[in-house]
Amino acid sequence: MGTEATSRVCSGPLENVAIPVQHTITTMAFIHPIQALATIGNDSIIFTVVKNVIMAFQQQSSGEYKQIGEWADTYDRSDSIKEKVSKEQERQIQENIKKQKDNEGNSVPKKVSQAKVPVPGPGAPRIYSCIRNLIVTKNGGKLISCADSDKSVLIFKIDLSNKTNCLELLKRQPFPKRPNAITISDDESTVIMADKFGDVYSIPIEGEPITNINEELDPILGHVSMLTDVLFKTDSKGKRFLITTDRDEHIKVSHFPQSFIVDKWLFGHKEFVSSVCSPAWKSNFLFSAGGDDSVYLWDWEAGKKLAEFNYSEAVKPYLGDNHLAPSRFQNENNDVIEYAVSKIVAFSTAPYVAFFVEATKVLFILKVDSEKETFTLSKTIDLPYNVISLESVQGDELVVSLDNRDSGNNDFVKFIKYDAANDDFTVDDAKSKAVDTCLKQFSNSEKLVVESADVYPLYSITTLKKHGEHYS
Amino acid sequence: MKAAPGNMDPSSKRYIYRVNKEENRKELKHVRIDESNVQEVAKDAGVSASKVKKGKKILDLPKKKYYRQRAHSNPFSDHQLEYPECPADMDWARLYPGFVDSATGKLSREVTIADIGCGFGGLMIDLSPAFPQELILGMEIRVQVTNYVEDRIIALRTNHAREQQYQNINVLRGNAMKFLPNFFHKAQLNKMFFCFPDPHFKQRKHKARIVTSTLLSEYAYVLKEGGVVYTITDVEDLHNWMVSHLEQHPLFKRLSKEWEQNDKCVEIMTNATEEGKKVARKQGAKYIACFERLPDPEII
Repeated sequence: MGTEATSRVCSGPLENVAIPVQHTITTMAFIHPIQALATIGNDSIIFTVVKNVIMAFQQQSSGEYKQIGEWADTYDRSDSIKEKVSKEQERQIQENIKKQKDNEGNSVPKKVSQAKVPVPGPGAPRIYSCIRNLIVTKNGGKLISCADSDKSVLIFKIDLSNKTNCLELLKRQPFPKRPNAITISDDESTVIMADKFGDVYSIPIEGEPITNINEELDPILGHVSMLTDVLFKTDSKGKRFLITTDRDEHIKVSHFPQSFIVDKWLFGHKEFVSSVCSPAWKSNFLFSAGGDDSVYLWDWEAGKKLAEFNYSEAVKPYLGDNHLAPSRFQNENNDVIEYAVSKIVAFSTAPYVAFFVEATKVLFILKVDSEKETFTLSKTIDLPYNVISLESVQGDELVVSLDNRDSGNNDFVKFIKYDAANDDFTVDDAKSKAVDTCLKQFSNSEKLVVESADVYPLYSITTLKKHGEHYS
Repeated sequence: MKAAPGNMDPSSKRYIYRVNKEENRKELKHVRIDESNVQEVAKDAGVSASKVKKGKKILDLPKKKYYRQRAHSNPFSDHQLEYPECPADMDWARLYPGFVDSATGKLSREVTIADIGCGFGGLMIDLSPAFPQELILGMEIRVQVTNYVEDRIIALRTNHAREQQYQNINVLRGNAMKFLPNFFHKAQLNKMFFCFPDPHFKQRKHKARIVTSTLLSEYAYVLKEGGVVYTITDVEDLHNWMVSHLEQHPLFKRLSKEWEQNDKCVEIMTNATEEGKKVARKQGAKYIACFERLPDPEII
């Protein structure tokens, strides 16, 4: 086991795991890999998240991409922390006044000092201000995202007539716990947010943000477990549902907006669920994946598991030291590996789904037989670097972003197109290159460039695996 | 599940007691105890000859002092738990061997009463004779407390083998906040009890309370229409919290004081549980609220 693997094993749990650079550690700065992607319609406009910056690029008639929008999260959390600390100090002082009394029974006021903002100690986990989760409304009018810095949901208006910057921040709604997954209701009036604490909130896209969530807004439904994905669905009778997945193997189907009525659970996962998707071409199908060796196919309306596909053999050649379990869960031979599917998406019209395993350089594409209600491996696509994010694009295309930190600012994204005539998949090199070229212009931009030590945690799904650490 | 934590002194009385009881549990937990085999059961459980009175074996009830553990358990943390993948996978016959139909080998009925956070099991033991034809399940998250209840049930079943009592109660170690739907299918339960739950006073701990608006939706799922949620606590704040959350939930309606006075479960709940007795000893107040599961409204 190499030194890189050791440092991976020793690093702390959950999101603070930054997998080290695999080859020679370069001191050279590079553009941070793209963490999340979204597109409008037929990907002529692509949105990317790099560090804490959202950028929009539009394809020109020449085929080249041009930047048309940018928004950077410059929120400074120290103010809100200070506010919180002062409030807590005030509360404690109030409490102490009641307790502390002199001999005559009069309360003794305590000397009030300025509240101190706590500074993380030397061993404390690093705090990152990422942006994650990028989605665009179906009509292409709004962009929704989440910022870690103040745990907020961001709602942007996409105004293509604005030539200098197409992104206009409409609303920034902070929450008490970090948003983990977002989706939009079918009428595009409401954002549904699922957080790390297990609660799901519904907030209108329009209107002013709510300042005190705990007092003004109740969760519409919840799990007692970290939520990993949320999906809005309408069934064949026109009834609306929310599908939520969590770290405790559960996929819960609730009615919407009567979210207090649980319709069913889909039981079958033995490990955490990380991602679900439902194709437009077969609305009662649901695909789910996570820490299990299999991806599952469900009929979510009937509440039935239809099929599962075991990918453990297929992924074996792609697993490496990065997949060794953390040291406290290791065995004597040091060969316990842990891996998980990070995301599963369906093609827009072709009967295929695609998924990837975290920290691997491969994309699996499964062919779905809607008649027989099964799916089989159709193609594996090797990529030059580890896949970070995967999105499905209109027109039967996929787009992935890669952990390209060793590439010298190349290979940011790959477009993978379904070739209906040959029933095959090809990487669209020209288009991928066009986006790469456009991004490369920013290799001197301070906003996007990082040292290798400052890369945000890109691999945090596998760490959701449960180990039953508590006995009593 | 470990018999004892690693740092416990293996020569201590408590350790030896726990190891002995663990052995018994392994053998007797799923055994059908009736008159025909009570002799053997008693022998397995190590009953001394002096305990034999008029041909009837008496098994010692477990002693609480050997089962001490911290009073609280974090419901969010990743415990070592056993739970079925789905309700259909649950082997209930092992928990209620007295109700197994000898022809089919299957249980003749389903669990319909659940005591969530059953503690030392006092409620179940009093409910058992009151509802002899219903299966009652207690759920408890603390290992030692669950062990205590298991040992208590084994002893009671053995000592009352002739009358075939206490065959309809059992206990599971589990986290009801996370895995209730893994055990019960939709509309399975008639009654759910929440007796003297952990109050979790701190505001930021309120999500750890057993009654929250989001969890109530899950309780409503496993309860049948007309099913009843019973709550009792000695903490007024918590009582107000539970009442307000249940009242706000569209699927629950509070039952009247008059109803409470005429319900035998309320009577048992008030007086039977260990916590209830403790409160009574200290002459503390007990706050009771019962709620009926309403039918689902029309789906829009």
